[in-house]
Amino acid sequence: MRAAFADRNFKYLLIGPAIFVLLLIGVFPLVYLLIVSFQGITMTEVSTEFVGGRNYAQLFDDVRMWEALLHTVIFTAIALPIELLLGLAMAQLFLEKLPGRQIFIALLVLPVVVSPIVSGATWSLLFDHRFGPINQVIGWITGNDTAILWTIKPNLVYPAIIAAEIWQWTPFMFLLLLAALANVDKSQLEAASIDGAGWWRTFFRIVLPAIWPVMAIAILIRGLDLFRLFDIIWALTRGGPGTMTETISMFTYVKGFQQFETSYTAAVAFLVIILLSAVVMLALKRVELAR
Amino acid sequence: MADLKITALHKYYGGVHAVRGINLEIPAGEFTVLVGQSGCGKSTLLRTIAGLEELDKGSIEIGGEVVHHLPPRDRDIAMVFQNYALYPYMKVFDNIAFGLRSRKTPKAEIGPKVDRAAGMLGIHHLLDRYPRQLSGGQLQRVAIGRAIVRNARLYLFDEPLSNLDAQLRDEMRGEIKRLHQELGKTMIYVTHDQIEAMTMADRIVLMRDGVIEQAGAPLDLFERPATKYVAGFLGSPSMNFVEARLVAHGGGLGTLLDDGTALPLPPSRSEKLSGRIDQSVILGLRPEHMNRAHPGESRSGLAHYAATIELLQPTGSRTYATFKLGGTDVVAELQPHDVTQINQKIELSIDMNRAVLVDPSTEKVL
Amino acid sequence: MMTIKQRATIRTALRLVAAVVITLIFVFPMYWLFMISFKTPEEIYSFPPKWYPGQIHFANYAVLFKDGDAKTVWNSLVVAGSSTIIAMFLGTICAYSIARFRTGGEHLANWIISQRMIPPIAVVFPIFLLFVWLHLVDTYIGVIILYTAFNLPYVIWMMRGYILDIPKALEESALVDGCTRWQVIWKVVFPMCRAGLFATAIFTFVFAWNDFLFALVLTRSEATTYTVQITHFFGGQSNFWAKISAMSVLGTLPIFIAVAFMQRYLVRGISLGAVKG
Repeated sequence: MRAAFADRNFKYLLIGPAIFVLLLIGVFPLVYLLIVSFQGITMTEVSTEFVGGRNYAQLFDDVRMWEALLHTVIFTAIALPIELLLGLAMAQLFLEKLPGRQIFIALLVLPVVVSPIVSGATWSLLFDHRFGPINQVIGWITGNDTAILWTIKPNLVYPAIIAAEIWQWTPFMFLLLLAALANVDKSQLEAASIDGAGWWRTFFRIVLPAIWPVMAIAILIRGLDLFRLFDIIWALTRGGPGTMTETISMFTYVKGFQQFETSYTAAVAFLVIILLSAVVMLALKRVELAR
Repeated sequence: MADLKITALHKYYGGVHAVRGINLEIPAGEFTVLVGQSGCGKSTLLRTIAGLEELDKGSIEIGGEVVHHLPPRDRDIAMVFQNYALYPYMKVFDNIAFGLRSRKTPKAEIGPKVDRAAGMLGIHHLLDRYPRQLSGGQLQRVAIGRAIVRNARLYLFDEPLSNLDAQLRDEMRGEIKRLHQELGKTMIYVTHDQIEAMTMADRIVLMRDGVIEQAGAPLDLFERPATKYVAGFLGSPSMNFVEARLVAHGGGLGTLLDDGTALPLPPSRSEKLSGRIDQSVILGLRPEHMNRAHPGESRSGLAHYAATIELLQPTGSRTYATFKLGGTDVVAELQPHDVTQINQKIELSIDMNRAVLVDPSTEKVL
Repeated sequence: MMTIKQRATIRTALRLVAAVVITLIFVFPMYWLFMISFKTPEEIYSFPPKWYPGQIHFANYAVLFKDGDAKTVWNSLVVAGSSTIIAMFLGTICAYSIARFRTGGEHLANWIISQRMIPPIAVVFPIFLLFVWLHLVDTYIGVIILYTAFNLPYVIWMMRGYILDIPKALEESALVDGCTRWQVIWKVVFPMCRAGLFATAIFTFVFAWNDFLFALVLTRSEATTYTVQITHFFGGQSNFWAKISAMSVLGTLPIFIAVAFMQRYLVRGISLGAVKG
């Protein structure tokens, strides 16, 4: 049948180009990565010889790699809950009518669309030990001149990076949770208040279950973003002092593009993909991202 | 000559055999209504005719030409959709002109054609508006206008009135019928509403489970249903069905109900049924064929029954009264003041000339 | 005893105060960045820091143009703009196929969204090797291809959602009225999801515009984007605050303006379509 034939081809014609690009940039690199990770290519020698699992074995002894992974987990574990709770509190604050509500929201949204590199640069301006306003304000409060080296002192770099991270992404949580809260069925809330349920009870029994699907997706998206944290740290500390704030993404970059350990980097990259896929699959099982 | 000819059409929908061997010929200029409950395959059949669905077996000819391999645009059809399907980003004029423009109608002809269609539907004043500024009834008029502006061979309507409120629906029913008379085009109209089918159709095609249950003129189907399903589908309130037995009764035949009541059948019907004595049947009685008995009234085939009214539903012009007949709840259509309160006893006369007898095993009308 | 009305007024007043404080905190970093860019170098390096410029001073921007740094903003515009147009076109027709014909079933849709989850660092490394081989490093084309591929899953996923929102009957009506499949896409689907197209295009543009890692790896000098250029102003001991801030403002202002025009689609855009807002 002519019509059927044309239709069947039409739909493949439509997806063809996009799938081609995705295969080229999405699948080819993975395959190539896998192959290279079993070879012995370094800066000094191009050995395409099969070396077995040597590169993977090397991973297990690489303390710096494990530390980078740990740093990534630490950033995620601290920043994500703070962003979530702060965003939720802000969403509650702006849920009901408020004079100028739209303007406040429009202003609060801005950090989300700023390039992470720009926000990193902005926060290094703010944290500047001499010319930044943060030390100046601390000085006003304590009454002494303050010159704290936020991006250099080992015990302060984490709070500094996390502050920048929270500033940039709390509005993301805020926006999603605000939309979710606004969609909570009003009649359920009214029924609860007629039944005499208090605020906490209403929140945990009705509001939280209602907003959970959105919350879960917000956590998933942000969790994945945090796992590939790179830009803000690059601008603020470049992983320093030493390798104290080096994340797994930065570690991979350093290995591949500064030390040119090609095959080893491929193994690292592959490990990252496997770890992340595992996390995503676990998360997706719980969260129905597809409607 | 048949304008549309469908032969042995089959259509599977997912795992469901939605249309199961339809044969249908529709003469030019006829208004055909495909009616049936949701899921009976009527919409699927219409969409297959339109080319929006592919058939799995069989053939479709329009005007003598086999079309089932052609895309919709090459089938010379126009269609009105249930949800209007108007383009919200176009003004009414452009919506109506859309089909003309797609078919490369010369610019100079478009204006007059749209004007004429809008005139027929009384929507001239709306041409400059956007769909979102119109009411439901106006939207439906525009949707119809978009179909009739084109000089198509076949006009298809897919439940076009089901989104309108009751009053508008009555009005639009008349409107579409008038349009059919003015245009004289072949039209196929799908609905689940038996009143629409009865009032509008030249011919009703009643579908059930993917096959045609019965086809014919509306009154033919109403008065001479072929099956219990057809008898029950047409008419409102619908026909009452009571289980009974055919027995010999006073020289002729009668139906014996579970509670011992015997309702005599007129002699004209007895002959045909004499072979079925002592078999069980289903007795079908329309509400309007049960009236209050008048003293001295005696016509052949009138059976009398003393009913105790259990429920009353007055509509103003009629009153529907529910009572037990042979242990089954049945509804009679009475005059408003025939009965005034429940538990009242009333003598009813049942017109057995028009009763329908159904074979319980085949559900075919005897 | 306070009346209910008085209580409500006090509550609103308290909420308003909290809202103002929070908003000031979140806006302040942007204010500081913009403010620094208008200061003279002497003002930037004055101690204690001043919270507003003596006068609005555009010399920092003039320097960017004089030194040729502004070309990197142009580079960003070219690569982000081109990749957005390509990704939007390829992605939308692909999304249409998936939404309307269920092409590839659930698996294809899931595979596409999973492409979005792959960490950039893991793919950029083999792509770099591929691009070296193809001589695409530090070219517009290379960066455009990469951004297109990177944004395609997002475009497909978002546009699939918008297309599913279009009543199917509109397309069927057009088919009956004489349109070909391509004409249906052009005359019905595109106009019907115009707002969604626009919103998705802006996000796609912002993702490419804001990217740093891909550009860092794949550009050297010719195709350097503004984000990479900003990091060049960070010195070992001293940072060129004047240039950093001015360049950051140049890179940030356009997206603030774009986002202001599409507030309504923001939530749907950043939540990958999960929240329709």
